Amino acid sequence: MRLHPFSVPYRVVDRGLRFGWAAVIGVAATSGGAFAEFWPFILAGVVALAVLGLGYEYAYYQRFAYELTGDTLDIDSGVLSRREREIPLRRVQNVDVTRNVLQRALGIATVSVETAGGGSTEAKLECVSAEEAERLQTEIRRLKAGETADAESETAGDVLYELDDRSLLAYSFLSFDPRVASGIAVLFPLLGPVVATLGFGDAVNGFGAALLVVLVGVAVLLLVSALWAASAAVRFVRFYGFRLRREGDDLRYERGLLKRYTGTIPLDKLQSVSLTENVLMRRVGYATLAVETAGYAPGDTPSGGSEAAVPFAPREDAVALARMLEPFEDIAVERPPTRARRRYVGRYSILAGIVAASAFAANAFWSLPYWWLSLLLFPLAVAGGHYRWLHLGHAEGDEYAVTRSGFWSRSTTVVPYYRLQTVIESQSVFQRRWGLASVVYDTAGSRRLAGGDATAHDLSEDTASSLVERAIDRLRATLGRQ
Amino acid sequence: MERLNPRVRVVWAVGALVTALVLGGIVTGVALFADTSEFPWFTPLYGVGVFLLVGVVGVVFAVLRYRVFRFEVRDDTLFLQRGVVTRVRTVVPYVRVQHVDTQRGPLERLVGLSSVVVYTAGSRGADVSIPGLTPERADELQASLRELAIESEPEDAV
Repeated sequence: MRLHPFSVPYRVVDRGLRFGWAAVIGVAATSGGAFAEFWPFILAGVVALAVLGLGYEYAYYQRFAYELTGDTLDIDSGVLSRREREIPLRRVQNVDVTRNVLQRALGIATVSVETAGGGSTEAKLECVSAEEAERLQTEIRRLKAGETADAESETAGDVLYELDDRSLLAYSFLSFDPRVASGIAVLFPLLGPVVATLGFGDAVNGFGAALLVVLVGVAVLLLVSALWAASAAVRFVRFYGFRLRREGDDLRYERGLLKRYTGTIPLDKLQSVSLTENVLMRRVGYATLAVETAGYAPGDTPSGGSEAAVPFAPREDAVALARMLEPFEDIAVERPPTRARRRYVGRYSILAGIVAASAFAANAFWSLPYWWLSLLLFPLAVAGGHYRWLHLGHAEGDEYAVTRSGFWSRSTTVVPYYRLQTVIESQSVFQRRWGLASVVYDTAGSRRLAGGDATAHDLSEDTASSLVERAIDRLRATLGRQ
Repeated sequence: MERLNPRVRVVWAVGALVTALVLGGIVTGVALFADTSEFPWFTPLYGVGVFLLVGVVGVVFAVLRYRVFRFEVRDDTLFLQRGVVTRVRTVVPYVRVQHVDTQRGPLERLVGLSSVVVYTAGSRGADVSIPGLTPERADELQASLRELAIESEPEDAV
C-alpha cells in the first residue's frame, strides 16, 4: 500500500514551516534586518530548497510502501538508504492516529505504531487517508486478537466515558498543565528591568518597601492567573470531545479540537492503573484515571497526554472504570508510621531554617526589609510535613499492590503482582536513621522513566523487607496460575 | 552473600581521580587564563584544592561502595545490595530476565575485572549490574543466570 498522495504537499509544507520558522528566527536574531538588500538571493534560495524538498518528498512517497500481512506490519522505506521493517502485530502496543488542522483540511492522518520498549515510535505512516487510518487501527486490533476479517463481530464498541462540555470546562480550570509554567521563563527578561527601575535602594524603608511588596504580590498574582488561563485553554483544546470506547481487548479514545487524536490502549499489556487527583479535584470529588501500558505511558510522546484513559470523571466512576479494566479488590490504604511524619516535618524545617538563615545573613549585609517574614516558613514546614505524610500510603492485596503519594497531586497506583519486573527496596541515609525504607514496584511501563515509580514510601524497615519477599512470592504464584 | 573482587576499588578510585583531575583542571584553567582581576584571591591553588577534595571524596566513596556491595544468586531470584548514601536492595526474579551481558571497560581490562549486566523489561532494568568480578566468575555467573532464566517458566516479557 502507498501513502496518500496528499502526503507529499503535506510533508513539504510541514517541514517547510518547521525549518522556515527556525531559519527566520535564526536570521532575524543574527543580522538585525541587514538582509533586506539580499532578498532576491534569499528568495532564490527558498525556491531552490522548496523544489529540492518537493523532489525529496515525492521520492519518499514513491519509495514508501507498507502492507498489513496476517501477523506483521511490513514497511519498506527510505530514499537514500533503504529500510525494510517487519513489526510482529503481537508486539504492537498502541496505534495512534493524529490529525492536525492542515491534515484535517486535506483529509489525511498520521498513524503511529508503538511496540514495547524504546522511546521512539516504531512505525510512522505520514500520511494516509483518514479512512485508511481508521481501517489500519481496527485491522491491527482485529488481527492481534486473532479474529478473521469476515467475522462480523465489529461493533461500534461500548462507550465507556464521554467528557461533556461542562466537565471539560471544569477539568480545564481545575487542573494545571505544568508545561505551561515554562512560559514563565519567557517573562523573566521582561520583568527584570522593571524590577530594577523600581530601585531597591529607595525602597528599603517604610512606605516604599510596603509598596514594593504589594506590587510584587500583584505581579505574581497576575502572572499566576495568566498561566492558569493559558493552561486551561491548552487543556480545553487538547481534550475537546473526549470519548473512550472499548473494542474487544483494546480501549480506544478520541479527543482534540484543533488537532484530533485517536489511539488505542491495549488492555492485555496493561501494567498499572493510577488515579490522580490534585488539590482542587479532591475538593469536588473528581479524579483522572491513567492506564499505563508497556508501549508508553500517559503524558508521553507522541500525542502528549492523550493516553490518560479518562482525564476527568467523578471519583466513583473512575474507580469503577479502573476496576473494570483490572478487577482489583477493595484495599484499605495504610499510612506510614508516624515517625515518618516527624521525618518530613524535620526535613522541611531544615529547609525553612536554611532560607531563614540566608534571609538573616542577607539582612545583615544589605538590610533587607521584612526579612523576618521568612520565619513564617516554619509553621508552613510543619503543615507541609503533616500533609505530605497524610497523603502517603500503601496496601498489599492478594493480587495487587497499591501505592499512594502526593499532596498537590495525589496519585494512587494499582500494580498487579504479575506485572512486576523487579522489586527494589531503598533506604536513604536519613531513612536509615528513622528505621524506614521505601519499596519500588518496577514494571515494564515507561512512565517510570519520568520518575513516576509506584513507590511505597517510608514503611518501617521490617515491613519493607517482608513486603519485598511477599511481592516476589505472589508474582510467582500468579504466574504459575496463568 | 557474595562480595566483589577487592580490585574493583582500584577501578572506582581511578575513575573518581580522573573526574577530580578534569574538575581541578577546569578550575586551574579558569584561574590561569580568565580575567580574575576582580577576585585577586582566586589562584590556581584552588584547582589543586578541588582536585584533592573531589579525589579524596571519590576514593572514600569507592572504598565504602565496595564494603556495601553484595549479591546473591538465590533459588529463583537474583539479589543485589548496594549504595553508600542510599542503600538499595534489588530483587530480580529469573522469570523476568531478558538477557545477560558481560562487559569489560578499558580500566577493568587493565586490572583484570569484568561486569555482568542483567536486563529485564522493566524500566529499571539497566540498574541491575554487578561490577568487579573476575572474568571467570563473570562468565560463570552469566552462564548460570542464563540457565536459570531459561529454566523458569517461559513467559511473555510484558
